[in-house]
Amino acid sequence: MSSVLKIRKLTKHFGKITAVSQLDLTVESGQVYGILGPNGSGKTTTLGMILEVVAPSSGDFEWFDGMDNVKARQQIGSILETPCFYSYLTAVQNLRIVAHIKNCGTGNIDNILRKVNLYERRNDKFKTYSLGMKQRLSIAAALLSNPPVLILDEPTNGLDPEGIAEVRDLIKQIAADGKTIIMASHLLDEVQKVCTHFCILRKGEKLHEGSVNDILGETNVVEISAKDLDGLISHIESYVGMEKVTNENGSLFVQLKDGHSSEDLNQFCFDKGISLRKLLQQSRSLEQEFLKILKEND
Amino acid sequence: MIRAFTLEWLKLKHYRIFWVLFGIYLLAQLVITNGGMFFLEWLRDLGADFDGIDPTIIPIYDFPDIWQNTSYLGSFGKILIAFIVIISVNNDISYNTMRQNIIDGVSKKEFILSKFSLVLFLAFVCTALLFISGLVTGFIYSSVTDIKYILDGLEFVFAYFYQLVVFSMLAFLVGLVIKKAGFAIVLLFFYSSFLEPIATAILQHADPIKDQTEWLAKFFPVYSINNLIHVPFLRYFFQEIQDTILWHEWLIATAWLGIFTYLIVFILNKKDLKA
Repeated sequence: MSSVLKIRKLTKHFGKITAVSQLDLTVESGQVYGILGPNGSGKTTTLGMILEVVAPSSGDFEWFDGMDNVKARQQIGSILETPCFYSYLTAVQNLRIVAHIKNCGTGNIDNILRKVNLYERRNDKFKTYSLGMKQRLSIAAALLSNPPVLILDEPTNGLDPEGIAEVRDLIKQIAADGKTIIMASHLLDEVQKVCTHFCILRKGEKLHEGSVNDILGETNVVEISAKDLDGLISHIESYVGMEKVTNENGSLFVQLKDGHSSEDLNQFCFDKGISLRKLLQQSRSLEQEFLKILKEND
Repeated sequence: MIRAFTLEWLKLKHYRIFWVLFGIYLLAQLVITNGGMFFLEWLRDLGADFDGIDPTIIPIYDFPDIWQNTSYLGSFGKILIAFIVIISVNNDISYNTMRQNIIDGVSKKEFILSKFSLVLFLAFVCTALLFISGLVTGFIYSSVTDIKYILDGLEFVFAYFYQLVVFSMLAFLVGLVIKKAGFAIVLLFFYSSFLEPIATAILQHADPIKDQTEWLAKFFPVYSINNLIHVPFLRYFFQEIQDTILWHEWLIATAWLGIFTYLIVFILNKKDLKA
């Protein structure tokens, strides 16, 4: 896998405040990389630096194994916060400017406007658009050159539920095409749903980095219940693969020893003449892990 | 440079305010620089005379004097060209499209070049119109049409171009520093039309200090730009005229061009472009 972005010791001070501190990051081709953190944790500042609109105080970064930064940006579609266009120009005229900057020709404009559902309004001035339409034009501009890399900053901010679902579908669709996506978000749920890799920032420092699957995965805790809960408890306590068992809300949470699976547990209960009415392997949520990581670093 | 100019052109070609302002400027330049004979006829009809001389026989459109006369008059309107530059720069700041352009794949240098190419384009069109309309008017009114005389004062035509470029770069700088277009325009107009002319007039003409301070005036930015082309009409009264632009006058204006450009580059490179 080739690297799309390498960040080395990137730091930004705003006066006395350190917005980003000694940040190291690597994004490989094909990843959907989430930069996660509460508001003010340095996500947007980081994106600003790698897009060269915010000057780093120190450290450096490299796109596509050392491609010229300006050339690299032409290969990247970016959607940052508010949509920025010339209000006196139409959608088509605005996209022509983007096409010129991206060196990508204007042939794809009609197509892309159909895709984001703006084709009917393509010859109306930008200032007449609703917020939703403006945001859709941003998406059109970012996708116009069919870029291999997409950068999104809080992509669902300010959208209605329908818009949020649309944008998430779009992200998944784009990721399925093998594109690399770098997105900043404070919504854990969003990152869990669409990202393959993520890092957690707090006060400009990276607390954690890894793959979403690694951290989520399944736990070794199995939730079970049966009609005769007391009988179940007494049997389970004699089960060799049991590490710990707790009783919560009419269900038993059995923590299994290594080498024992939920299947073994089921077989054990069956042999004892108990039929389980619930058997559920517990999976982790990013929220639990996120809070855990924040706690560990306090 | 072509890529940079195309970027600016795509932004302006469907922008009505740009065409209105540019059209007004070109029309005004045409009238001011070539309507002199009508003005003199009007003076005559009013009964004005200069020591018994019919004003219409003043050879304002004779080659080569025509070049200094028209370029001097034309330069009064350059504030309108400065407005176009300010509006163009401010649009990119207020719509946040300068930031967006850079994110999409324009370098800061290329962004500056795109505005500089606009400045060159505007100055070139204005100068070309001044030259062509001058030729036409000259052939109508001039008593001499030898090529030698036609070409003689052309440095004033170039100076006109240069004035527009230097003044427009000042406008670029003001537009960049002052983020509200209206305020930037008012400030530039007030400074270039009142504040600096009054300050330099005091330095040059206030009796108690003028002997010590007169030399200072020519180093002021707007004064040095305007001073490339002196008031030409005194030649018809005192015969005391500028027949060429002195090297130090070019140099001071060029120094200001360098300073404006340096500040523009410095500010843009240093500034964080926030959303």
